[in-house]
Amino acid sequence: MMIDADAPSRSGRDAAAAPVPLRTTDSNEAAARRWVAEHGDILWKFALARTRSKEAAEEIVQETVLAAMQGYGTFAGGSSERTWLLGIAAHKIADHFRRVRRAKSPKTLAISPDATCVCAACRGMFTAKGMWACVASRWPGMNLSETEKAEQTEALRACIDALPPGQSEAVWLRDILGIPASEVCKAMGLTDTNLWSRMHRARVALRSCLETRFGLRKEKVE
Amino acid sequence: MMRVLSLPCREHAVLFSRQIDAPLSGGESFGLRVHVLYCGGCRRFRDHLLHLQLLGRTLAKDVQHEPGLPAEVRERLNARVAQASKKN
Repeated sequence: MMIDADAPSRSGRDAAAAPVPLRTTDSNEAAARRWVAEHGDILWKFALARTRSKEAAEEIVQETVLAAMQGYGTFAGGSSERTWLLGIAAHKIADHFRRVRRAKSPKTLAISPDATCVCAACRGMFTAKGMWACVASRWPGMNLSETEKAEQTEALRACIDALPPGQSEAVWLRDILGIPASEVCKAMGLTDTNLWSRMHRARVALRSCLETRFGLRKEKVE
Repeated sequence: MMRVLSLPCREHAVLFSRQIDAPLSGGESFGLRVHVLYCGGCRRFRDHLLHLQLLGRTLAKDVQHEPGLPAEVRERLNARVAQASKKN
């Protein structure tokens, strides 16, 4: 859906999609140096975008590279090296937030899928028959000024941050970095169905979160 | 085919999201196209998903222009790699 953030010599999603042949002649150290050189930027941007802390991002990139060194022998080459590394980073980031949230417990940033629903009888977004219980308002169009676009993008970032660990990382890999669904499944150890379900829940929550931030309310279906 | 046409909005919402990640079957795709002709709630949901995609693209461009791995972090990483390599 989106773009690869910094492929050095390839562009767009192809960079993430193209399987890189295993370089079995690399020692672990040589491979790790190559990962830092070729994929360090994307790992850094991913970790920094999620944590918004240079210290935490550095720790995550370091843990990712070290974990990859240990697991290099078992890397099957089913996905690109870049996606494999991003998958390891996604797990490290999710672990980081689980630790942070445990430390801050019981306060959580959970988003309710029906946060903006004003229908008293609504339970979630649908009626018992599976029809929309509340219809969301029309959103502001995308013909926005640069300032408005920046505000909406920042709102999206904040909403992704508020998703549960695991969902945020899937959204970053799939919807922001534009990695194909099949590669995200391999990187995160999910089945297709798991990923579709996770992405659907995340998108519904993001939609609700953005509505709250845009100050919109749903209306009861009469 | 009739089953696809009689799916409730809850199922159509799932399909709208899934079609971002994987191609739908011909029947599912046809069912969605017919359903949105008469369902305002699902049209709105589809529009919101499109809007989310557009915002995601804008965010992706922002990230693309952000600075990459700082040189000093790169150095520390390589040093840590060398250290880990010696241990093993």
